[in-house]
Amino acid sequence: MARRWWQPTRRDAVIAALTLCGLAVAGFLVALSGVYDIAASRSHLEITRWFLEFGKRRAVATYSLPVQAPPSLDDRNLVRLGAGHFRDGCASCHGAPGEQANPIVRAMQPAPPPLSVRAPTWTAEELFWIVRNGLKYTGMPAWPAPRRGDEVWAVVAFLLQLPEMDAARYRELTRLPPADTPAVAACVACHGDSSSPPVSRLVPRLNGQSQRYLELALRNYAHGQRPSGIMQPQAARLNSRTIELVARYYAGLKPASVPPADAEAGQIERGRGIATGGFEERGIPPCLTCHGGHALATYPKLAGQSEAYIAGQLHLLQKGIRADTPQGAIMTPIARLLSDRQIEDVAAWFASVEP
Amino acid sequence: MNGVQSVLAPRGQDAERIATLFWTMLGGGTLIMLAVAVLTALALKGDSPGRGWLRSERLVVWVGIVLPVCLLTALLAWGLFALRAGAVHSDPDALRVAVVGERWWWRVIYPGAGGRSFESANELRIPVGRTVNVELRTADVIHSFWVPSLAGKVDMIPGRTNVMSLVANATGVSRGQCAEYCGGAHALMSFHVVALNATEFESWLAHESGPAIPPADAETRLGQTLFITSGCGACHTIRGTDAAGRIGPDLTHVGGRLSLAAATMSNDAAAIGRWIRDNQHIKPQNRMPPFAIFDDRQLAALSRYLAGLK
Repeated sequence: MARRWWQPTRRDAVIAALTLCGLAVAGFLVALSGVYDIAASRSHLEITRWFLEFGKRRAVATYSLPVQAPPSLDDRNLVRLGAGHFRDGCASCHGAPGEQANPIVRAMQPAPPPLSVRAPTWTAEELFWIVRNGLKYTGMPAWPAPRRGDEVWAVVAFLLQLPEMDAARYRELTRLPPADTPAVAACVACHGDSSSPPVSRLVPRLNGQSQRYLELALRNYAHGQRPSGIMQPQAARLNSRTIELVARYYAGLKPASVPPADAEAGQIERGRGIATGGFEERGIPPCLTCHGGHALATYPKLAGQSEAYIAGQLHLLQKGIRADTPQGAIMTPIARLLSDRQIEDVAAWFASVEP
Repeated sequence: MNGVQSVLAPRGQDAERIATLFWTMLGGGTLIMLAVAVLTALALKGDSPGRGWLRSERLVVWVGIVLPVCLLTALLAWGLFALRAGAVHSDPDALRVAVVGERWWWRVIYPGAGGRSFESANELRIPVGRTVNVELRTADVIHSFWVPSLAGKVDMIPGRTNVMSLVANATGVSRGQCAEYCGGAHALMSFHVVALNATEFESWLAHESGPAIPPADAETRLGQTLFITSGCGACHTIRGTDAAGRIGPDLTHVGGRLSLAAATMSNDAAAIGRWIRDNQHIKPQNRMPPFAIFDDRQLAALSRYLAGLK
């Protein structure tokens, strides 16, 4: 009878089991002895580094499989919003064109990579997954508001432009304009003031909103009831005195509309109909009953707000992402009655009217 | 048998006919069953002449074929006649009221003075002894209008207007219920029908068609302001104020109704407050968003204002 090339015997099995146990015990003894150097001041062994990098690449590739990129990642509004967050949230660790990372951060192991070089080694979907979920044992945090994928895409849109960006262009995108008072400087950087519009149409214009509404919004952001990975860190560092000061500052500014967008006349007209008269067949109440400026101070006024911001918020409301505040709970079922086209229409109308 | 929602406690002409039909059918059915039982007992235990009689061909033909055909035909004919199946009373003096089924409440439209109709909700008031032709429509899905102690059940079909006639024989309150599954809160879609004598009805109609009572004190004035500024008027009408929404029930005289939320709750300020803040727990999926934005003082003012709209 022909003998097979290898026939495991009982003895082979015992040897294999003992070897495995020996390896496990050896590994435990290495950890117990404390000889493996975990100092951040020294880099990993080359093989360890290779293995960790390999594992990270594979994990990101696998977990980002279901991610689908939105069609317009080169939208300048998305890029500018992402740039603002990059300046406040990312650049201190990763550096930026013309800016070195913080020297303390450069002493991390692994050191946060310079993204002009490293971002292009990932796909947009992979970048999205990393920015949203963070990476264990690297110091890369997860996005504070996991449901706000729309914000994460803004950062990704910016990262995609980063490789071709020189220092001058970066400074232009993330310029901090001179503010009337230092307390509002961080707000004005994105939301503008009486002399400058918001940096992106995805960022709301705050001039002339009521003080109560602005205070409420900042508190809701700070406590995460209104989820936003961009606004929560900004609002959470304000104390109640500063919240009041910021809110009073913007409430006192003269309302100014954003520069008009190109919407077709029919769209604006349809939007006007919904905003002023509602759409009774589907149970949609007229927007202006609450958002026209004669209602409670805790309701936002929408006239002159950019269409991208209004439409974006309505989509968040539809997904129930803003339902944790009493105001959001009122608006959530109403937003769900609107079709995508109706959202575009009302947003275009509000953007077209003078506040 | 004095339930407000019982077929066996008729308070209207049609319900009486239905009750008579029911009792007659029950009586007839009982007699037939007894006769069959006796014959069965005879067949099993009877003596031989009796069983021989049962076997005869004449008996089978007359009692087995002719008698049932005659009896059932007579009962059917009488039943159809008694119910006047599908008939709408052609009474020139009839009151016409429209009831529209909505998820999950009833919009009631009365004819007002000078041909101008006005709305109420979840309660139908009718005069005793006068024919009321109820036009049944629906705003969304199929509902069914059923007040067991007044009349039979008629469906509300999208795109159609069905008319049913009612005549109440006595004053008093009857309860109705949507009788066709229409979604999540179907079971909480009820209503009351209040039969009044003719003079009471006319004075009620005159009051109901008028504007709301203006708030009398500081608290209810705050309540009215909150009603307007919180956006309630986008969906609700209170005649005499800026609130002119048509999506939800007309609240002009909401405090004068017997119940809240389509006969789901008692009607008082506390219940109104609970409904405003917590309506999605009381009646899940109803179209009103929960308004948890008020502090206790504001909610009390708003509720008292609404409860006072008699």
